[in-house]
Amino acid sequence: MATDTGGRFDGDGGTAIATGIGLDDPRRLVRGVAGIAGFVLLWHLVSLTQPAYVLPSPGAVVDAFAEELASGTMTAALWSSIRHWAPGTFVGTTLGVGAGVALSWSRLLDDVTAPLVRTLRPVPPLALIGFAIAWFGINDAGAAFIIAVGAFWINFYAAYGAVEGVSNDLLDVGRTLGVRGDLDMVRSIVVPAALPGITTGIRTGLGRCWMLVVASEIFGVPGVGREILRASNNLLVDKVIAYILVLSLMYLLVDVAFRAAQRRVLVWQA
Amino acid sequence: MAGVSNGADEADDTGVTDEVDEIAGDGEAGVAVDRVGKTYEGDGTPVRALDDVSFAVEEGEFVCLVGPSGCGKTTLFRVIAGLTDATDGQVLLGGTPVIGPTTDMGVVFQEYHLFPWLTVAENVGFGLERSDRTDAERERRVDEMLELVGLSEFRDSYPKSLSGGMKQRVAIARALAVDPELLLMDEPFGAVDAQTREMLQRELLDVWQSTGKTVLFVTHDVAEAVTLADRIVVMAAEPGRVAEVVDVDVDRPRERGDPAFGEHVARVRELIGARP
Repeated sequence: MATDTGGRFDGDGGTAIATGIGLDDPRRLVRGVAGIAGFVLLWHLVSLTQPAYVLPSPGAVVDAFAEELASGTMTAALWSSIRHWAPGTFVGTTLGVGAGVALSWSRLLDDVTAPLVRTLRPVPPLALIGFAIAWFGINDAGAAFIIAVGAFWINFYAAYGAVEGVSNDLLDVGRTLGVRGDLDMVRSIVVPAALPGITTGIRTGLGRCWMLVVASEIFGVPGVGREILRASNNLLVDKVIAYILVLSLMYLLVDVAFRAAQRRVLVWQA
Repeated sequence: MAGVSNGADEADDTGVTDEVDEIAGDGEAGVAVDRVGKTYEGDGTPVRALDDVSFAVEEGEFVCLVGPSGCGKTTLFRVIAGLTDATDGQVLLGGTPVIGPTTDMGVVFQEYHLFPWLTVAENVGFGLERSDRTDAERERRVDEMLELVGLSEFRDSYPKSLSGGMKQRVAIARALAVDPELLLMDEPFGAVDAQTREMLQRELLDVWQSTGKTVLFVTHDVAEAVTLADRIVVMAAEPGRVAEVVDVDVDRPRERGDPAFGEHVARVRELIGARP
């Protein structure tokens, strides 16, 4: 049989994969750096006109950052927060994806759980602090619980929508090729086809969970969030911003790492 | 006109049913569509999509199914594939009633529907994973199929990097890999340009001749049907039914300039009421 390839199509189709953070494009990198520099300069100028408890200068924030780092407070707080973030995110993401796929795939499960889901959905994780304390106590597990709730809903809806969007035609093809039963269908077609949507949900959740770190430590568990709340009560705004930067950096780190992993997994995507 | 039998009349007497019984009886790898009807219970009035459709495809035969839009071609395709239940009647594959999708049928859809997350070789091997073949046998079968459709060098490519014609070749290889008794195709070349379509038609005839498979090919393109088929089942609309079965007595390879080819095209077009 002849082919009509004619050399228009490259063999693996995956030769030009961008890293997506602009490092591969010098022009974007320069523009990004210029943007940050401009923002810091503007911040510095505005801070000259304001007292430190309203807006500290960038220099003061750098000093506060260095001081917290040197004293060991920052690393201790970060380590503590990671102990909330990592298990909370992991458990919430796993359960959220699992429930989203199961309820979206199974009409029966969906019908049974729909009223419950709609009732629980609007409850903000922060409103569950009472339960966190009652069930887990004022400790790492309680904070992780708050984060897990946040991760759960994001992943639940992302996975639910992604599975809903899987084309019936692919399911038909699967059936004609011998796929039998829900488990086989979900494993070999539904989940792979829904993977782009599912991973986008996971990525959104990873970022959102760093935000929830602050809320999860509101009831007195040590961590970055606790340091931010304590510093703002004492009007130490430079310290507040220093710890916000810690969260931003963690978010950035996790996001870049996840995107790299995502691109590897979804190398087949157009 | 020579070579044209009257399927509509046959459906009314027992002619087609005899043919159906014959295929049902001898256990051959043919297909028998036996008084199939399909009614959709929509909002309000039920719609009769198919009514008393009967015809048979003999083992190794290439049959095309043509008809105007709305004649229920796609519904019939889905019923034969076991993807939709018939309201009345039954479909027999090698004498056995089709009660659901089966790997005894290789199904090819118009829009390819390759699994985008799998490479070409993995797509072709998808159905084999559920067979009792050993890994080495699967590997060999995939290689054989890729060879057959001329895509060996693309075995590790993802579908996104393939042209429409190449995607449809992968879909054909995937359908044939499990060694089905019947190759069932729904307007498989409808989404590619005219030049690629002609090439794919030639290639499909080669595959058919080299594998000896029974082929049932749904199309709305009359010239395509005359190019490919041993016999053409012409359908009529409202309700979807068999208007006539036309034998194509033209030697292969068929040329469009051949007067006999033109006569067949004109005859089928007249039957479905399309303008020439």
